[in-house]
Amino acid sequence: MLQVQNIEKYYGSKNNVTKALDRVSFEVENGEFLAIMGASGSGKTTLLNCISTIDTISAGKILLDGVSVADLSETELARFRRERLGFVFQDFNLLDTLTIEENIGLALSLNHADSKEVPNRVRETAGKLGITEILPKFPYQVSGGQKQRAACARAIVAGQSLLLADEPTGALDSKSSKNLLDIMDTMNREMGATILMVTHDAYSAGYAKRVLFLKDGRVFNELLRGDRSRSIFYHEILDVLAALGGDISDVI
Amino acid sequence: MTLFKLSLRNARRQARDYMVYFVTVVLAAALLYSFNGLIFSREINTLSQTMEMLPVLIALADIVVLCVFGWLVAYATRFMLLRRGRELGTYLLIGLENKQAARLFFLENLVVGGCSLILGIILGGLLYQAFRAMTLALFGLPYHFSFGFSVPALALTAASFALIYLYALARSRRYIRKAKIHDLIYYDRQNEGVVIQTGRRRLRVFSVSIVLGVAGTLLLMAGNMSLGVLGAGCVILFLFGFFLSFASGVPAFFDKRPWQKYRGQSLLVFRTLTAKLATMGTLMAVISVLFTATFICEGSGLVFRGIFVGRASENTCFDLYIGMDDMQRDHSVYLDYITETIPVEKSVLYQVYLSGSTQMLDYVSSQTAYYNYSYDQDPILSYSDYAALRSIAGCKTAELKEGQYLIHCMTYLEPCLKEYTQPLVLGNTSLTPGDIYTEHLAQGGWTSNGRGYILVVPDEAVQGLTVHHRAYAAKTAVPVTQDQYEAMTYLHNEIVDWTESQDYITTKAREEAEIASQTAITVFPLYYLAVALTMTAATILTIQQLSESAHYRRQFLLLQKLGMNRREMSKTLRTQFAIYYAMPAVPPILIGVPFILNLCGAPEPGVMTGAFGPAVIISAALGIFFLIYAVYILLAYTSLKRNVLPDSF
Repeated sequence: MLQVQNIEKYYGSKNNVTKALDRVSFEVENGEFLAIMGASGSGKTTLLNCISTIDTISAGKILLDGVSVADLSETELARFRRERLGFVFQDFNLLDTLTIEENIGLALSLNHADSKEVPNRVRETAGKLGITEILPKFPYQVSGGQKQRAACARAIVAGQSLLLADEPTGALDSKSSKNLLDIMDTMNREMGATILMVTHDAYSAGYAKRVLFLKDGRVFNELLRGDRSRSIFYHEILDVLAALGGDISDVI
Repeated sequence: MTLFKLSLRNARRQARDYMVYFVTVVLAAALLYSFNGLIFSREINTLSQTMEMLPVLIALADIVVLCVFGWLVAYATRFMLLRRGRELGTYLLIGLENKQAARLFFLENLVVGGCSLILGIILGGLLYQAFRAMTLALFGLPYHFSFGFSVPALALTAASFALIYLYALARSRRYIRKAKIHDLIYYDRQNEGVVIQTGRRRLRVFSVSIVLGVAGTLLLMAGNMSLGVLGAGCVILFLFGFFLSFASGVPAFFDKRPWQKYRGQSLLVFRTLTAKLATMGTLMAVISVLFTATFICEGSGLVFRGIFVGRASENTCFDLYIGMDDMQRDHSVYLDYITETIPVEKSVLYQVYLSGSTQMLDYVSSQTAYYNYSYDQDPILSYSDYAALRSIAGCKTAELKEGQYLIHCMTYLEPCLKEYTQPLVLGNTSLTPGDIYTEHLAQGGWTSNGRGYILVVPDEAVQGLTVHHRAYAAKTAVPVTQDQYEAMTYLHNEIVDWTESQDYITTKAREEAEIASQTAITVFPLYYLAVALTMTAATILTIQQLSESAHYRRQFLLLQKLGMNRREMSKTLRTQFAIYYAMPAVPPILIGVPFILNLCGAPEPGVMTGAFGPAVIISAALGIFFLIYAVYILLAYTSLKRNVLPDSF
């Protein structure tokens, strides 16, 4: 579904260039749950921003379902984002002036969906994520975990094919984190959602089927879960993080 | 760093952050100073006797403007205080005393206020020159630029501003002194609730407010002082009721029709709007009240100008006109005086007759609103007198065909008299209707050339007709002076008891001076008020809008990530913006238009025509209103668009 081919990203001016991504390549299969881990400054958010077309790459190619995102115009990119990509951010990014229902419905509204169907489709998705009862409330009236589930609902309600999550548990307590990860896991297994999650939390990464480790803008290692249990996979992730060295305190 | 340096630095930054506020205070100071300049200007006060009223009326307008500006500055200061709550709270957190923080805020505001006052007064000096030039032009006098400051005007402006600022700062000082750190730091997290919660109550408030609005507008139009005041009260209540109930009514509307909100951009547009209205319904109502007052001031100013010009234009066609009603009295006293003192180029002494019937009077009265109190029969003029009058007034020659009579009327009667086909029978002569002429010909007064219309017949046809009055019209070599006019009025009072006589003396020069001074004393203060009120209301709307730039920016960044393209974002922003600025302007127009139309109908017919017709006045009032408003809207929109819409990736 997603092919990242030798992408590079530089920041700064001529005399002071920072290489944020250095020849990163990987693929994401349809229905996969991939986690990208790394310490602060390793380039994981830059990678996510490039895939989500919010940022441009300096070299290489990103193909989504065979389409190179670099070849799209600004209008096509906007269309691409609203039809194909779903976003879940660390700080929820819900609009305060809209109710939870409206925040989820916004994704459909932007996609010019039939306005009469919107309430039903929102309720259906909210039902799957267990947030039906908070639909009429405003974001400031619900908990962080509920907000994040609402963000997940917004990310899939319009039938987007790839869900991009940037530190989705970053602002949540451990119970809400677990709750959210269980939901993402369900979305992946039962609803067939393809998920690309950036995190520095090993516990969160344990939910993925595959984990990519970034260090200094390069793919340092890759870990496949296979048939192993989540707890074993979690410990393996910790071992890799230990091998990454130095930055271990940043990533747990 | 000393407290003073910190204040100075903050003040500098504050001036940059709150450009709209700063500009407004500068303009407010400029406006106050320029009008204060008119109050103390000797040159302008010596223009006409009636101009003595100008300072009094401007001073009255000054008081209203002072209150409005006082409210504006207090509002803006409080707004800035709350917006910078986190910063002030942090000062308290690191150990500054409330007293010191209050002083800090006081000092920086004093610096901003002082700078804007100085700038405003300089600008006001220039603005005063513009007003001076306008006034002198109104009187047809030459204007020479001479920049200088009037000390009393300066003192009055400074005193007014001191009052405004001290009031605003005293309030802020009291707030900071009592404020808790938590309140200051977390002010922006407070949510304001919806003012009217339940549907039934909201509907009741909404219905009552609409009834009050209609009643208020009707009362304003009643033309009675006490009813007008009552009407103004009703209108104010309507605006508050409307905005408070409307703010909470929109979400209710969507709750009942959930699919409606997902159409196009309505979700974003209306939710943003309702969120705004829910928190600033009262403010919107206040702004709407200010706009209503503005629009009424502007419209009334134009109507008054129309009345002055319209009434006077009938009499300004002759350099000198005297209508003399008592045929038994000797009027040679006027003529002797004129021969002695006024160089006359052309003149005519003539008589206005009565036809002996009321056939045209009846027709005109049945067709249009006609004031017939001067004549109980149709007025008649002989053709030779009419020709002389036309020549004196500078009109082209009018031809009278044999067997016909001409009609000379005011423009408003022309359409109905064109349809008139009845012959005029005077003794043995029967005449058919001929051409109609509508130039100004002194047809509005008591002893004038007919009231609205006069019939012109061959000289021989007036034989034996009753004389209504005698009149004298002249074209002079130089304008008749005020002293000469007064001398003739004195003569009039010498020869007759002024309570019995209806002699009517008028000169072109005097009429024009009257228009000028009447315009100056009514239109200037009304427009002064209008500009001040629009400025205040538009500033508050703009400050509110711009203060939410960060919120808007976050919203559009998210929308960009969610896949909204720049064109759609621009459209959404434009719609949100248009509705936000249109909301408080719509009710004032609904109230103002009928009020102004009604006011246009107040003077006698024939006055408010042509360039001062009701449609022209309404368009002009709307034009002036939206011109000032548009400047603010444009400034706010460009600034918001630049700050809010994310750059393309």
